[in-house]
Amino acid sequence: MLEELLEILTEAVPGVDFETETALVDDEILESLDIVTIVSEIKEAFDVEISVDDLVPENFNSVQAMLALIEARKE
Amino acid sequence: MSFTSLAFLLLVGGAVLAYYILPKRCQWMVLLAVSMVFYWVGGGKTILYVFYTAATVYAATLLLGHFNALKNAAPKEEKKAVAAKYKPYRRAVVLAACLANFVLLYVLKYWNFTAGLLQPLADRLSPGAQIPLSELVLPLGVSFFMFQSVGYVIDVYRDKHPPEKNFAKLLLFVSFFPQMVQGPISRFHELEPQLLAQRNLDCTSLKYGIQLILWGYFKKLVIADRAAVLVNSVMGNPWSHSGSVLAFSIFFYCIQLYCDFSGGIDITRGVAQLFGIDLAENFRRPVFSTSLTDFWRRWHITLGAWMRDYLFYPMSLSKPFGRLGRYTRKHIKGKLGKIIPTSLATFIIYFVIGIWHGANWRYVAFGFWNGAIITASLLLAPRFLKWKEALHIDDQSKGWHLFQVIRTNLLVFLGRYITRAPRFLTAVWMVKETLLHPHWGDLTNGTLLTLGLSGSDFLVIALSMAVLLAAEWYQEKKGPIRPALEKQTPFVQWLAILIPLVVLFCFGVLRADYISSDFIYKQF
Repeated sequence: MLEELLEILTEAVPGVDFETETALVDDEILESLDIVTIVSEIKEAFDVEISVDDLVPENFNSVQAMLALIEARKE
Repeated sequence: MSFTSLAFLLLVGGAVLAYYILPKRCQWMVLLAVSMVFYWVGGGKTILYVFYTAATVYAATLLLGHFNALKNAAPKEEKKAVAAKYKPYRRAVVLAACLANFVLLYVLKYWNFTAGLLQPLADRLSPGAQIPLSELVLPLGVSFFMFQSVGYVIDVYRDKHPPEKNFAKLLLFVSFFPQMVQGPISRFHELEPQLLAQRNLDCTSLKYGIQLILWGYFKKLVIADRAAVLVNSVMGNPWSHSGSVLAFSIFFYCIQLYCDFSGGIDITRGVAQLFGIDLAENFRRPVFSTSLTDFWRRWHITLGAWMRDYLFYPMSLSKPFGRLGRYTRKHIKGKLGKIIPTSLATFIIYFVIGIWHGANWRYVAFGFWNGAIITASLLLAPRFLKWKEALHIDDQSKGWHLFQVIRTNLLVFLGRYITRAPRFLTAVWMVKETLLHPHWGDLTNGTLLTLGLSGSDFLVIALSMAVLLAAEWYQEKKGPIRPALEKQTPFVQWLAILIPLVVLFCFGVLRADYISSDFIYKQF
């Protein structure tokens, strides 16, 4: 799942070291447009429902946070 | 009541005294009383709209809070079923609250524009028929307090915080007086605890507040109101000026608008800081923006954030947009197919931001201008990347950064033709004149000195802008100025207050021909 997510992220926002960044939203590396693009991809790739309530910085600041969100929504 | 009136300064002074002298449990009541006085003096009977918004929002959030409590009290295994049971009711309530406010806003702000559009159709269907026009007066700060209040309802709907059960406290959140002229659009969870907090007098907060207020008055009274003289002179009769003079007046309008709006926000935030309240940042040095998207992240930040959280995200994640996304992925290969729904949502948002400013074709065109450029840059991003690679452009180089900043400011400058011209078609004509008949000699042959400003006025504006840009450059590179100032000797700190005061009195308030104009964003 990590590889697939990294592929989505790198395609959406090239040139970012997603494996090490931990403040993607707080440091404005990801903008709202990127987040919506990434969410659309995640929904498609992992077949999960992500709602507006999930669109908070803490869910998108790092790859681990996004993985945790996907896991939670799979339950 | 204008921010630039003596009455306002007296009101703020009296409010600060009362706030810190009266018992702490009364502090929020002082803010409420002053807010009511401020609105009553500035808006008269239109204060009823503030009560209307507060009442609708109060009722809606109490209901939503009740449903949320039922959902949260249910055992874990029943939570989903209970949430599903109450979801239609919660949706109905939030929809009713949004409609109650936005339909009224539509009638107040947009109905006459719509009626004008529909009148030819009415004439054709029934000759002589007149669509009634609204004669209601636009309440002070209506777009700001309604958006702030609706945001609060949606946050309670999303169960981000419980509702405020005390109507008077909610009324204070809706009507907090420094925000009533031109925002910012605050969030409940950030503002409400600060409004209700009990405080001791904090000298640092007071000093920061005074410094910010002075900085705001400097921008407004020394720069914006002075630049306005030339802008109004040219725009009063644009047809009698050459293309270069028209361009110069739009350049001055860019200066005026920035200093007027950001200066007003500085006064707003400074006044709030006198009471120890930190209002949301609304500007982050937009002149250094590297793209139009970046510009809108730095200009009127709270409106952009409102649109993002309450319109862009819900729309982008809605079922119709989901269906559109699946369709475009299937039929359009590559990245384009994936980003079309996001691009469409982006276009709609910037279009809405455009018409948020008002009901006329200029703002429709302004929304279209921003929406079209940003959407095109999204759709063409892969191609731009290829061009950059082919031209061996280093993304990190200073030259590329400077190019991006100049390009963005040029786009913003062109957009200002649309918002400042008397009519949209006049804006188109003005751009044409600038490009085809500039007569550049008019900028140096003394024509500019016939437009209401003297040579010394131009010098004051140039020097003031140099100070402003230097201060913003420092903030951009090194961070906030006031904490840095705090490390200096008391003498230097006093100078930082005295110098702007002297400048204000010499070049702002005491000019014999000085007439302070209203804030531009007050009309929105």
